[in-house]
This record gives sequence, C-alpha cells and structure tokens, in this order.
Amino acid sequence: MKILVPLKRTADPDNANKIKIAPGGAKVVTDGLEPKPNPFDEYAVESALRLTENGTNPKARLAGDSVVVATFGAKEASQTLRQALAMGADSGLLFEASDENLDGDLVARALAKVVEREKPDLVVMGKQAVDGDSNQVGQILAERLGWPSATFAMSIELSQDKKSVIVGREVDGGVIKLKLALPAVITVDLRIVAPKSITNHVTPQTHNYQEGARYAPLPMIMAAKKKPLAEAPFASLGVEGVKTSYVKFEAPPARKAGIKVKDVPELVQRLRAEAKAL
Amino acid sequence: MTRNPLVSDAFVDLLMFDALDVSALTAFDHFREHDRGTFELWVQSCRRLAREKLFAAYRPMDSAPPALSDGRVRTHPVMNELWPALAETGVINATRPYDVGGQQLPFTVATIASFYLLAANGAAYSFAGLTTGAGHLIEAFGDETVRGLFLEPLYNGTFNGTMALTEPHAGSSLADLTSTATPRGDGTYSIKGSKIFISGGDQSFARNTVHMVLARLDGAPSGTRGVSLFAVPRERPTNDGAWEHNDVHVAGVIHKIGWRGIPSLALSFGDEGDCRGWLVGPSNHGLKCMFQMMNEARLLVGASAAATATVAFYESLAYARERTQGRRLGDTDPTSKPVALTEHADVRRMLLEQKCVAEGSLALVARCAKFSDTAQHHPDGDERERAQMLLDLLTPIAKSFPAERGFQSNALAVQIHGGYGYSSEYLVESWLRDQKLNSIHEGTTQIQALDLLGRKVIARGGRALATLCEEVERDLATALSKGVDPSLVASVREALARWSALTQALAAKGLAGDVHGMMGHSTDYLDATGSLVLGWLWLWLAGATRAREGHFYDGVRAAARFWVTREVPRVHALAAVIERDDQAFLGLDERAL
Repeated sequence: MKILVPLKRTADPDNANKIKIAPGGAKVVTDGLEPKPNPFDEYAVESALRLTENGTNPKARLAGDSVVVATFGAKEASQTLRQALAMGADSGLLFEASDENLDGDLVARALAKVVEREKPDLVVMGKQAVDGDSNQVGQILAERLGWPSATFAMSIELSQDKKSVIVGREVDGGVIKLKLALPAVITVDLRIVAPKSITNHVTPQTHNYQEGARYAPLPMIMAAKKKPLAEAPFASLGVEGVKTSYVKFEAPPARKAGIKVKDVPELVQRLRAEAKAL
Repeated sequence: MTRNPLVSDAFVDLLMFDALDVSALTAFDHFREHDRGTFELWVQSCRRLAREKLFAAYRPMDSAPPALSDGRVRTHPVMNELWPALAETGVINATRPYDVGGQQLPFTVATIASFYLLAANGAAYSFAGLTTGAGHLIEAFGDETVRGLFLEPLYNGTFNGTMALTEPHAGSSLADLTSTATPRGDGTYSIKGSKIFISGGDQSFARNTVHMVLARLDGAPSGTRGVSLFAVPRERPTNDGAWEHNDVHVAGVIHKIGWRGIPSLALSFGDEGDCRGWLVGPSNHGLKCMFQMMNEARLLVGASAAATATVAFYESLAYARERTQGRRLGDTDPTSKPVALTEHADVRRMLLEQKCVAEGSLALVARCAKFSDTAQHHPDGDERERAQMLLDLLTPIAKSFPAERGFQSNALAVQIHGGYGYSSEYLVESWLRDQKLNSIHEGTTQIQALDLLGRKVIARGGRALATLCEEVERDLATALSKGVDPSLVASVREALARWSALTQALAAKGLAGDVHGMMGHSTDYLDATGSLVLGWLWLWLAGATRAREGHFYDGVRAAARFWVTREVPRVHALAAVIERDDQAFLGLDERAL
C-alpha cells in the first residue's frame, strides 16, 4: 500500500501571538517566527507510518508499503520533508512555490496532479493548517479525485485485505464510524496520535504507541539524507490561478474586562437584559 | 501562564549557527556525513522529547524519589517510558563512532541538544549521560572481552552505567581509596569494598547496571598511582549466556534535597566474596582512564547547572510578566491599576542577571564542547593541541561557574516569585534544591579552583594562559568589527590584562615555593576568572547578533552590557583581595573559628 502525505510549513504555532498585521491590513506578517511543520500534518505522517509498519519494529515499512511526503513551498521547506523522512517516510517531493501564490483550491488541484503521478492507495493529511485554518484542501481534493473521504479522523482501521478502511470521525456529540473503499482521502484530527488509534492487523493489539508524533531518532536522521527527495517547480504540475483574494486583515478586537456581580439574581438579570443570553 | 520553553530556541539558534558556526565542523572528516540539516533535526527531536515527555515527568519524579525494597531500588514508574524514549531516540550513543553503533554527532551539537533534556528533567537525562560516560570508558580502554560483554547493551540502553569512585571516607581525595581487586586467574578480578553517592547505582527500568569502579590491585603502590579501573556489573554473564547475581548490594539510599529522580546509593561489592570485575585499561592507570569520564562528566555538570538556571529564569520571567503588584515609582494614585512585576527596576535587574548567568553559562559549556570536537577531530595537529589546552583550562570554570552563579540565579527566580516562590506549589524551589549539587559532585568548586590555579592556568610554562588571552583578544577584535560598543570591549580588555598579571604574580609565588601564597585564595581566583570569561563570551555573543534588530537581539546586547558593566569590574576587586593576601583565615588558629 502506498500512502501520500501532503505537508505544509507554518509559522511557529507555539508563538502565534507574535504575528503582526502589515500596515493597511494587506497581509499577516510572520517575520522572525521559525517555520515549523503544521502539527496536524505531523500527525498525518505518524498515522501513515503506523498504518505501514509493525509497531514493535518501526524501523522499516511493511513489504510492499511506502509513504511519500510532498510539499509546495520555498526551497527551505525541504527541511520539513527531511524531518518526515527521518521519522520514517520513504521519499519526498518538493514543488517550489511561494505560499502567497497558493490557496486551498489551487493546492487541492495541484495535489490531484501529484496523486495522478504517484498513484497512492490513500492520501492522509492534516484536517487543516494552523495558520489559515481554512479546512478545505482535503475535501476539495477528494471531490476532484472522485474518491471517498473521511475528515477529522481520530481512528483508522485498515482492513486485512487492505482494500478498505474504517475511520472514526470526531463529530459533535461523539464519534461516527465510516467505512471507505480505497483509494480514499483521510484528514486527521488531534486524537489520531493516541496510543491505540491506528489498527493495521500487523502491529499487535497489545502494542501501545507513545502519544503524539514520533521523534526522529538520530540513526533515522542520518538515513534520511540518503532517501530520495525530488525537487521541481510548482509550474511543472500544470495548474495555476488562485480563486481567493483577501480584502483586509484585522487583529481581533481586544477582550474587554469582565465585571463582578454581587449575587446570582443580578447575574441572571444581567444575562437576560444586557447579554441577552437567556 | 505561558508554557516554559526550557531553553530559548532563538538563543540556541544564535549560539549554534551565528556564534559557534557548528556547520563548519562538517569540514572535519569525522563529521563529513553530517550537515546543518542533521544538526537541526537532532536538536528538534531532543527539544520535543524534553518538552513533551521529560518535563511532564519532572515534578512527579521529584515528589516520589526512588525507594529501596527487598534489596533493590524502584525508580519512578515513568522512567519505564522515558528510558526507552531516550535510548531509542539515540541520546546515549549519538556522539559515538559508527562502528560501535553511534552516529558521530559532534559533541557540540549533542551538548546543545542536551540543554533541553537537562532543563526538562536533569535526573532522567543523567541516567543516560552516565551511561554514555561508562560506555565511552569501555570503548576507549576496554579489551575485546569487556567490550563484547558490555558495550552494546550500554549504548542501546539495555543496561545503564555509573561511575563508582567515592568511598565513605574518601570523596575528593581519591588517593585514599581502599576498595580492592584480586586476580582470580581467569582474567577477572574479585572486587571488595564500599562505594557511596553512586548516582543511578540501581534502577528498575533497564536489565542490568554496569559500575565503573576504582579499586586497588593487591600490592599496588599507594596514592593515585595504585588505582585501577574495573567494570563491575550488578549481574554477571554465565558461560551459557545467562546473567546471574554478582554480589553487588545496595546498602542504602541517600535521602537528597534535590536530583530526587535519580537514586544516589551506598553500594557494597563482594560482601559474600563473590563479586567479579573486569579490568578496563592498564593496571594502576585507572585514574588516568577515569579522567576521560570525569572531564566529560564535569562538562555535563556545567551543562546541567546552566540548564537548571535557564529553566528557572524562564519560569520567573513568565511569572513576572503576568503577576501584577504595586505601582510605578511616583504613582501615588491608589485607584490606578497595579503594574506587572517587570515594571519594577530591581525585578528587571534580577531577571537580566539570571539571563546573563543562565544563557552565558550555556554559551560557556557549548564553547568548551566545540574545543573538545576541535581537539579530537581537527585535521591540523597544532589546532588540536591549542583546542585541548583551552578545553583543559576552561573545564574547571565551565564546571563551577554555572553551578555557583546558577545557585544565586535560581535563588533570584525564587525571589521574584515572592512568598509563592518559597512554597512547594511552584517549581522554582525544586530547581534551587537541584542546583546545589552541581557545586559539589564531580569535583567540588574548591577542587575546581585548585585545579584551575594549581594546574591548568600555569600548564606548559604559561602557554595555556597566553593561548587563552590570545583567544579572548581574537573574539574581542571580531566583536568590535561587528559593531559592539568599544567601551565594553575596552572594559574586558582591562580586566583581562589585570587577571593575566595577577595569574603571573601568583605563579611566581608558587615557583618561589610559597604554595599558600599562591593557592590560599584560589576560590576567589576562580570566581574572578568566571566573571571575566563570561564578559568575553557575552561580547562574543553580542557580536554574533550582527546588529540585527528585534527584541531577541536587543536582549542579547543588553545582557552583554549588563554583565560587562556590573560584573566584570569584580575582576579588579577580587584581584585586589587576592593580591593583598590577608591572613584572616589562613593565619588563624582553627580553634578560634
């Protein structure tokens, strides 16, 4: 089974409070913030690795399985791909592009081209990137490919014959399970990296993964240098044109200070009269 | 409150790539498989391991120290997860050669990555650091048999390792060791004796423990020249490949005020006359071999002290930014809003002092690590020798400055928390407790002072001293060319000249046979040297900012200015004290104390 995992670099999400709005609201400025992999994409890499290995010996993919990682971005984004290779992915594809010339729709169309070339059995990706929070690419990609999709995955069970998956989706009020015939697109949510969230019928049921995306061990970091990492211009994919234009960026209004009420009746009265919450 | 970063990523970036230029190390043949990318990925892996796993386990391990039951030590259950994570990530053998399973990572990069692990949970990381040290001793000095038995399981984390030097009656004074080793005729030795303060001497997460034990062969000369080194496992191999009890017993667990995640033990070897050890290195050369591990361990202690100061600095910084208290000086309106602690002058002073000590110490230890890489792997013999001389000279400072000034820095972190800082509800008190050990273990501050003045600074007829002065001057000239304030550079130059003259005067006293005159104030001398060295390193760091703008770079330059204007003048004051050589304590009858 071959899995494609698209990756995006985002400005350090741990320091998201340091972003600024350019004068006039033309764009968001992330100067000085270290680019890091989108966390949901790291979870997607982790999920793809868990689907294609015996968890008790995670150093190699199962026979016939492979994980390909791909990104559209600046040349430096190859470091993001190398990190995924060091986690265990087999090969990487960098299509050089400027983030400012991409939107969710174009990324989805470009990914569809990558899927045509690479012919994966499954695309696993983050539910959204933590910078734009658009939550579009997985859905548009599935629509363009005509593939079934499951978004907000918190569990994935691969069938014995590797022809279908049962995906647990986070929905309001609980988890809904969907069965998808492969090929398919899955977008993953936070809980997908819980110790037992992935079943592939090879890793023993008793095996507990460490919570979260795995750390690249040093031997794998060294081995990643020798794995194939192809670079090509974004234009080589033959798609272009963004449909989104941004009118203006504004910082959210500063939070107003709260007030203290003297008792419950006053609270109820104010919730009714002022906040109109009751 | 914002999450504690443990160590600043921006500072690590500046240190690694702008100041130390670690990428240049890849020009050495030994590191040719590496590049900037492998360094960055390694630091990233350790950073995440530290932030996501080790730090979360710090308080639980501090609160429930290891306990002795049925003769064995039970370490905190969380170590059952942390140990495999440390081992599988490759922390134990990262720097070791490919042929023993390592990845030949530069020691500089390994040390910088370890800052995060040490800041997160020094006790947990120390199990790994000690295991690396024990493995390295066996790798460097062990014969085929010893290497075959112990090297792989140590480096892959199946076993852990310790250094067992101290005996109940002999800590700093290794010449007085009395543990014995008697040849058994089969290539092994019967070991008998007691050791104390053995960190990681037993645990419940790894299959076995290998102690690197100093003991005397029968008939060996007295003093340090009669000490040999042995590998002594808790369980020894049998002929059919199994492992059996090796007559190593835990005699007691030390109840410590800090470093409570790693047990410190009293061990007894050979109570039943059936403890076997394997000789490592030539007989009677044990101390010389052990010094390899001790020099590594001294830098590890420096790194630990620096990291412990750093994590507390960030904790108190976040607290000071969020905690409001009082009003600005001159604001007498009681209805005005209280201001954040960072608005108060002396809180800023306490924060900047911590920053100087903590991050300056990280830079000092990392700089030493680069001298170590250069000393071992530079293609040019002269460069190797020069780097070794500087490493030797700076090691006692890198071991003791972060510990001594780090303790003061950790106290400032408590101070900033006010009454809450003195409660165990906040973390800062635990780092203060942890920090104290760093001025004691692996050679006390006093031993480091004797080592610096009595041995290192006068080494090779003064060449070590001259080389350090040359190195400092080279960096100061570079700092000037990169726009660092000339008046700061002038201050460090003056202090360097004063210190150099002081050193020569003390050396002359020593040569004239006045040992007390030379050494009586060695700890003051160490103190002065530390203040001077940090002045040098802060200007080096300020130069590395290359006048770039932004709060982070402004902070580095402000720290440099603070240290040079507030601390470097102490060099002159301490030099005056040392030169005066007052006999208040040396000349005193001890009964008058």
